[in-house]
Amino acid sequence: MNMQGSQLVWIIVTTEVNALIGITISPAILISKQDTWLSMLVGGGIGLVLTLLVVHLSTLHPNQTLTQFSQALLGKWLGRLIVIPYLIAWYTLSAYLLREFTSFLQPILIDRTPLWIIMILLLGLMVYLTCSAGITGIGRLCQIVGPIIIFVLIVCFILNVGNADWHNLLPVYVDSGWVNILKGSLRPSFWFAGPFTLLVIISFMQNPQKAIAKSMLGVGINIFMVLTATLMVLMVFGPNLAAKIRFSYFMYVRTIDILNFIQNLDIFTIFIWIFGVTIQLSLYLFVASYETAQWFNVKEWKKIIWFGAPAIFLMAILIPNELFLATYEKFWASVIFPVCGIGIPLLLWIVSVVKKKASEYKV
Amino acid sequence: MKRAGKLCFVWLLMILSTTGCWNLREPDQLAYVLGTGLDLTKDGQLQISIQIVIPSGVDGGQESGGGTKEKSFRVISATGKNVYDTVPSFQAQLSRSLFLGHRRIILIGQRLAEHGIGNLLDEFIRNPQSELRSRIYVVKNGQAKDILSAEPIFEPFTPTELVRQQATLGLKRYYFRDFLSDALSQGLQPMVPTVRLTDSKQFVYSGTAVFNKDEGLKLVGFLNSKESNYAYWITNRQTTFTITSIVKQGNGNVSLKLRSLDRRIRVKMIDKQIQIDVHLTGEGTILENNTNLDPTKRKDLNIIQEELSQTTQKSIQKMIKKVQEQYKTDIFGFGESVHRKYPYQWKTLKQDWNDTFPELDISVKVELQSKDPGETTSSIKSIP
Repeated sequence: MNMQGSQLVWIIVTTEVNALIGITISPAILISKQDTWLSMLVGGGIGLVLTLLVVHLSTLHPNQTLTQFSQALLGKWLGRLIVIPYLIAWYTLSAYLLREFTSFLQPILIDRTPLWIIMILLLGLMVYLTCSAGITGIGRLCQIVGPIIIFVLIVCFILNVGNADWHNLLPVYVDSGWVNILKGSLRPSFWFAGPFTLLVIISFMQNPQKAIAKSMLGVGINIFMVLTATLMVLMVFGPNLAAKIRFSYFMYVRTIDILNFIQNLDIFTIFIWIFGVTIQLSLYLFVASYETAQWFNVKEWKKIIWFGAPAIFLMAILIPNELFLATYEKFWASVIFPVCGIGIPLLLWIVSVVKKKASEYKV
Repeated sequence: MKRAGKLCFVWLLMILSTTGCWNLREPDQLAYVLGTGLDLTKDGQLQISIQIVIPSGVDGGQESGGGTKEKSFRVISATGKNVYDTVPSFQAQLSRSLFLGHRRIILIGQRLAEHGIGNLLDEFIRNPQSELRSRIYVVKNGQAKDILSAEPIFEPFTPTELVRQQATLGLKRYYFRDFLSDALSQGLQPMVPTVRLTDSKQFVYSGTAVFNKDEGLKLVGFLNSKESNYAYWITNRQTTFTITSIVKQGNGNVSLKLRSLDRRIRVKMIDKQIQIDVHLTGEGTILENNTNLDPTKRKDLNIIQEELSQTTQKSIQKMIKKVQEQYKTDIFGFGESVHRKYPYQWKTLKQDWNDTFPELDISVKVELQSKDPGETTSSIKSIP
């Protein structure tokens, strides 16, 4: 399995921009009001640094995935032990997203379809994509879908310029202050950094030395898109109303009305959303399965999918309600992300650098 | 063989799932709602009326002559505890399920508006089926239900006419969601266009309803259509309107149609005393001149412009005084201007802005310019 540099860029964009725009804007507006765009910039900055850490760590161990190089660094048992949080994170996040997305889609589009049917359809696509070509297939699909997503987003920005009022962004900074701006930036920064899949997929790159530049470009595109989306949502709804809307970007698209006949563009948004979520979930399924296989020393990683996919489905079905999703989000932000996104990568990075220095010293 | 089997399986799955038949909803199973009206009945109950389209009636209207013309719409009403509580009662009267995606307006009857509508707004944005491009109106001296039942002139439906009329009147688009945004903001009170019914059951645009959002979003008063032109000018919600006024030096009156309006609001704070300068500029064409003056001459034109500006300025000052003294709510958004200019001071000012606003020192400057004197020189008057 191989991956090109441009595929890495589009994988980062396709798998994250939807979640960023869909999930992070509204909660951030609740905290930092009209200064949410500043929060997004700060969050983007933090995200860039965290991505740099993860990618640099991966490039120190070319052609090795997380499970492989952590074992090489920390020994067989300790190395495996620290991968466990990642596996938990990937499986539960997939279940969370599967549930979150279907319960968003169901009431607005197909309100008489049971959740599990939508889930199974999505799951079928995920399994097919992952099984047939692994990361190569995901990368190729991203190369096609990524530009479409960006195009649709930009069209929706342009079409709503008439409804936007920049006065809604005033006064800048004073109302929220830096404490709230930082608070609002936390959750977006986690999503900008992504759920640590880069620790695995960088190893499939043909030219790992390009990884840093390409991943920075990908995160950069995400920051730009999310920043623009946040600004537009704020300018159309005003900070006070936007803070009350759960999926503010989606509502934003529904307000587009050009000459009384360009309306209801939300269908395009849902369309790119389904693309994005399918690819996102496929990537997590791939990463989770591949790493599980490495963990158990199974040669055929594709076999793991047949255990992983049903597990994700079961977990998604068993989530009782929306409140549980909110609890999981809190758990993700307070436990999983600090451990898997900052703590362990930092530890591994320090060990790698020290070992490298030590080996150079010996020579 | 195995491949063919797999292919068949995928085909079957696609055919079964992608049609979405279980979620089938054809247009002839839907009752399209064009307008929603909210009223308070005499015994204090919430009454909701909806105008629904009768498709066969619409087609009949386009055919030329002959036969009895079916009505293109019907209005039905129901009472309930809240907005959505009435939906089952509607459904009990209809064979088709309600579809809100084409709702053009939301009307609020005067009695309900005076009672306060603060706790009736949620459904309009929470319900995923709800339409976000509806406009909002307050019905003066009457019930929303009656406006929905009124006979339209051009269009098959009154809501469509009301929406189109806003553009003709030179009003900028003001959606229900803008109203919500205003109602949630700190230094701005919402104002909403009003409509009333004449004795001959025709609807008439009749200015603006002024709300006070700090007491449960209650209606506190009205501005007539002239006053609301001025108020919308200050809040940048008006694109064109006409000023007609007496020019004393010319012994007659002049009509000036304003085509480009601009406003600038300056906030100054001197020793904790807030001063607000409203600077309004407008350019237009003279369309009627019954004075002895000749607007093609620079001197006479200056006199006309000067006098028109002066009288307009006085009317606007009077209107602002009226709002400050009678209604005591900041519909002009001066609070928001202070908020933007002095965000630190606003933190203490905002608590009692409603008490500050009536005492506010507001100066108004109006500058009107005629860019075009029209097609004649001096007035065509029969010589006395």
